[in-house]
Amino acid sequence: MTLVFCRTYLSLLMLINYLPVILIMGFAVLLAVVMVKFSTLFGPQRPNKEKQSTYESGMEPIGSARDRFSVKYYMVAVSFIVFDLEVVFLYPWAISFLNFPPQQMLYSLIIALLFILILVVGLIYEYKKGVLNWD
Amino acid sequence: MINFNDLKEIIPLIIIAASALISLLIAVYSKKSGMPVYVFSLLAVLAALIFTGLNVTKDVIIISEMLRINPYSNAFCMIALLSVFITFMASKDYLEKLGINFGEYYSILLFALFGMMTMIYANDMLTVFIGLETMSICFYVLTGLLRKRMKSNESAMKYFLLGAFMTGFLLYGMSLIYGATGYTNITKILATYTAIRTPMFLIGLALFMIGFFFKIGIFPFQMWIPDVYEGAPTVVSGMMSTAGKVAAVGTLIPVLITLNLVEYKMLFSILATLTMLYGNIVALSQSNLKRLLAYSSIASAGYIMVGITSMSDLSIKGIAFYLLAYVFMQLGAFIVVSVFENSTPDGKDFRNVTFDEYKGLAKRSPVLAIALTVFLLSLAGIPPFAGFWGKYYIFYAAIKSDLIWLSVIAILLSVISVYYYLKVIVYMWFKEPEGETSGEAVPVKALSYAAIMVSLAGTLLFGLYPDLFFTFFKFLIK
Repeated sequence: MTLVFCRTYLSLLMLINYLPVILIMGFAVLLAVVMVKFSTLFGPQRPNKEKQSTYESGMEPIGSARDRFSVKYYMVAVSFIVFDLEVVFLYPWAISFLNFPPQQMLYSLIIALLFILILVVGLIYEYKKGVLNWD
Repeated sequence: MINFNDLKEIIPLIIIAASALISLLIAVYSKKSGMPVYVFSLLAVLAALIFTGLNVTKDVIIISEMLRINPYSNAFCMIALLSVFITFMASKDYLEKLGINFGEYYSILLFALFGMMTMIYANDMLTVFIGLETMSICFYVLTGLLRKRMKSNESAMKYFLLGAFMTGFLLYGMSLIYGATGYTNITKILATYTAIRTPMFLIGLALFMIGFFFKIGIFPFQMWIPDVYEGAPTVVSGMMSTAGKVAAVGTLIPVLITLNLVEYKMLFSILATLTMLYGNIVALSQSNLKRLLAYSSIASAGYIMVGITSMSDLSIKGIAFYLLAYVFMQLGAFIVVSVFENSTPDGKDFRNVTFDEYKGLAKRSPVLAIALTVFLLSLAGIPPFAGFWGKYYIFYAAIKSDLIWLSVIAILLSVISVYYYLKVIVYMWFKEPEGETSGEAVPVKALSYAAIMVSLAGTLLFGLYPDLFFTFFKFLIK
């Protein structure tokens, strides 16, 4: 039990090393709060209709943003994320492919192809279900 | 570096993963009939079952020490495969009856099975996590399969939110264990465990266990079970309560037994008591058979917890046998409910799931009534059926490891359970049928019939010859 307490105490001592990090984080929060708050406190405020619109120099907003979207948007978003991630995973593999020892090249190629194959099955499924058919 | 020879050790996993993908393609290319995908997935599960059975005594660590194929994990995997196989048999008729016979169902269930097997075979905490998530996400989807019904959606949402929350606990536990030991590899953690029994490790382990207790349905984390099992399609509830439990128990037990957690022994026995108490007492007031089976599933989790508390090789043997018996009896009971169950005229809710609607079932369809009676008696632990031996081995292991008070409580609480199981039996056999459909026999399709017969055969076979199990899994007795 004493050993446990000693260890806890020691690990608290270790935390002292991180003090500068904590200070910087605190300072960053403080700075942000001070800058925003002071400008609203002391700055001149003359609001008008144009200033208070969502984008002062952009399009007029139409309706609320909390609207129902067509389910097709989600389908596209989901497919996009999947293939986006595929690129993210394949990129480091492609970069380091030539650095592999020769006996591992075939192996890593097969693994990458298997990975693509799984996604292709998903794509075929999507295609047959008519997700890519936009009208 | 992984070598190709490793791949032949995981043929069952490859079969399931490949067939999950292929069945997705079969499902979209044969839109008209659900038959091809049904037959294909049944054959795939059967093939995986046979391959696991043939290599059951293998003991290797493969794929960069990510997976460990050993007799224990093979045994639990086979039980999970068996459960999914029986579920598949009964699924087609049920899904057609409710008008949700999507080909995707088979694919998702195969993916869930892949997750379960990965989890059981896992030798690395990250593999455990990937397997658990694959399984859970498939379960969320399957729970909400009756997408036009409020109740099914509600239960899927509830399960998803709670499940995601509990995954957070599990991951945090894993990160603390990693912080305390410096390994994610389970073999290495277990090897260094005595040297690093620090508070950080114990807290991490507790959080890790909470994640699994949620999946098994141990007391403070059991609230989701009745709601989810009631709203989900009945065959899916049956599968979740058997295969899901087998997977979670099969992953957790080898770790807990090796760690030999004397610190947690008292806590475990209290949790076991509370789980059994909650499951059995609340089940007394139920009038819906699906909810009753859900509460009986919580009670069974309590009996399994008694086995976990004993922490011996004997208790692994007991738990494995109990889970096998549990697959037959619980799944069988759920399948009988799924056959009898119907939709209300507006298609918004289940009909024929309350006790009143079971009145006089024996006169209408004697075979269904006999099957359900056997399953319920087996769940209650009446001797000639498999459930009795499951409980016997678990309580025997508990007595052997000096937990006599816990076994006394467990036995007393399983006496209480006899009351609510017998209540259903009384409704079926000793009351007259009521209502407009009172005289008609319940229509049973051949495939569901086969599934019920397989479960019935299993319950009787392992009840009359419990040794069969141990001759096959010799390694469970050391």
